[in-house]
Amino acid sequence: MKSPLAKKNKPVGTPAVDKEVAALQKEIRRLRKENVRYTRYIREKTNQLLEVMGTLPLRPEEFDDSELLSLDPIGIIAGSFAQVYEYLNETISDLSEARDELQAIFDATGVGISIIDQDFAIVKCNEKQRELLVDRHQKNVCGSYCYEVYCLKNGPGLDCPAVDTFATGRPVVVDEVRKKDKYFQLVTTPYAKGTNGEVTRVIEVALDITARKKAEEEEQRQRGFYLAEKSKLASVLQSLSEGLLVTDSRNRIISVNGSALQILDLSQKQVLELKIDELFAESPPESRAMFDVNTLYACQNVELPFRGENRKLLLSVNAVPLFDPDGTAIGRVFTFRDITEEKHRQEIFHRTEKLAAIGQLSAGIAHELNTPLGSILGYARLLLKGNSLQPDQRERLAIIAEQAKKSSSIIRELLDFSRLSTQLPSQDACCDLNNVVTEAIRVLQTEMDKRFINIKLNLMPVLEVEADPKRLEQVLVNILLNSAQAIGSEGEIDISTHHAEHEARIIVRDNGPGIPTENLSRIFDPFFTTKPVGTGTGLGLSICTGIINDYGGAIDVRSIPDEGTVFTIILPLYEGTNG
Amino acid sequence: MAKIRTIELNILGQVCPACLLVVLRELNTHRKRLKNGEARLIVKTDHRDTTRTIPESARKMGYDVEVRNLDTCYEITIGKKE
Repeated sequence: MKSPLAKKNKPVGTPAVDKEVAALQKEIRRLRKENVRYTRYIREKTNQLLEVMGTLPLRPEEFDDSELLSLDPIGIIAGSFAQVYEYLNETISDLSEARDELQAIFDATGVGISIIDQDFAIVKCNEKQRELLVDRHQKNVCGSYCYEVYCLKNGPGLDCPAVDTFATGRPVVVDEVRKKDKYFQLVTTPYAKGTNGEVTRVIEVALDITARKKAEEEEQRQRGFYLAEKSKLASVLQSLSEGLLVTDSRNRIISVNGSALQILDLSQKQVLELKIDELFAESPPESRAMFDVNTLYACQNVELPFRGENRKLLLSVNAVPLFDPDGTAIGRVFTFRDITEEKHRQEIFHRTEKLAAIGQLSAGIAHELNTPLGSILGYARLLLKGNSLQPDQRERLAIIAEQAKKSSSIIRELLDFSRLSTQLPSQDACCDLNNVVTEAIRVLQTEMDKRFINIKLNLMPVLEVEADPKRLEQVLVNILLNSAQAIGSEGEIDISTHHAEHEARIIVRDNGPGIPTENLSRIFDPFFTTKPVGTGTGLGLSICTGIINDYGGAIDVRSIPDEGTVFTIILPLYEGTNG
Repeated sequence: MAKIRTIELNILGQVCPACLLVVLRELNTHRKRLKNGEARLIVKTDHRDTTRTIPESARKMGYDVEVRNLDTCYEITIGKKE
């Protein structure tokens, strides 16, 4: 750029003017130099700023001086720096806020936190860490060695997790540290690394696990107590003489004691596979409510039948509901005892008592009636011998004599019965049941032939029983006669004998019409008969029962209408030689 | 949502540092609208260095920057930081 004055290169003519022109030209040269210097300065500063911005310097061909000045690069970069500055301030503000938040979290957190440098000096420590691990009298711990403050040692120990973290760069957990009567879990994590990747700082976090530890100890104690109590209870249950079963909310048996297994003659596995109602499958419908978990009342002394593999038992069962702490029924507890023998003895006792009473009464009546009946029969027979009687009188007298004779026969039976009820069984008598059967059939053979009844025998070798053979024969004859009368004519009677471990049996099975269910429980009662009046006294089976009971045995009867009846005489084996 | 105005700047054929200065000038000029999200600046350039220098500078100024490689040039979008 040239000054307008520079165009006048011709002198005006006066020395004064020439001098002024020369001065001005000098000034122009000086200004030009200045201009070049300032432009260079601007270009240099622009390049300096561009370098700060991370880009290349301006190339002379890119902008000439005029274009450079009109672009105003310093202004542009200054404007950009203003934005950078503003953004930095915002960032600083955000960081400051974040730092405050972090500090608040650091102090308020429930765990103790401290930052430790490579020399094991504490860089930072929050309040919780002070509370947990630092002695109260120690004011400022920053700068102190962590092993002195936290572990009260002169140097970092081998068990120090920070030592491991500094060495390996990995987090380390120490499950349990005890200090100030508290338990801690310690975790050290690498926090900052140096230029070579070595850990320069670690964060140590101390978690107070005292409450958890105490809860664990308490749980352990309670568990020990519970196990001891459980063991005690198990011993008590196992030592019970009564059987015990526990069911769950689905009526499944979940617990059983030794006595129960012994009584039921089952294994634990067999019992635990069953539901309670399956175990007592033969229980009458009215007793079944006691098995249900929803039955909330207790049941006492319920008599239930139980059929095992080889025997039938009668059990006296108690049941009580089992509740959880909320009062919800979660099962039932059953206790039971075997009352089969007890019941059997009771029945024998009652029957014997009844028989004895009836026997005494019968003896009295028979004795009182026998004499007048003898007179009636004697006089009737005497009159019949006379020749002055009209035929109709003779006929009536014959009826009187016959009826008196029949009455006399009944009285004889009554006297037999009364004698049986009061007499003791003969001691040390023993007999072979098969002989008894043979003898009885011999007695009845004519009667059976007359009725076309076929007798089948299945006699096994049987050990001797303790009984008088004549009396047993009387029993068997009575039972066979009943069967024959029930069949009427044309039928079959099977007689079998066999023995088990402690007993022998005679089984009489007929194919008669059977005994109606309603009569089955009464057939052994004295004077119970279904025969027409005058044809039976109803004492036969009572006498039989009395005889068999005397020998410690029993008579069992089962009958299915229209199919027949089975009488089973059960007698204990003679222990004198058999045992 | 308000529509964002697009300011386009075509600096195809230009090289650094002129590119950077031109973009910085635009960022200064539209600073307020760019900062509050009313506008965004889309720069089209074919000078590879600018895909480094412009994003670096814009990010230091607190903007979000996205660079896309188009078939014949680069497209640098500068807008409000989310």
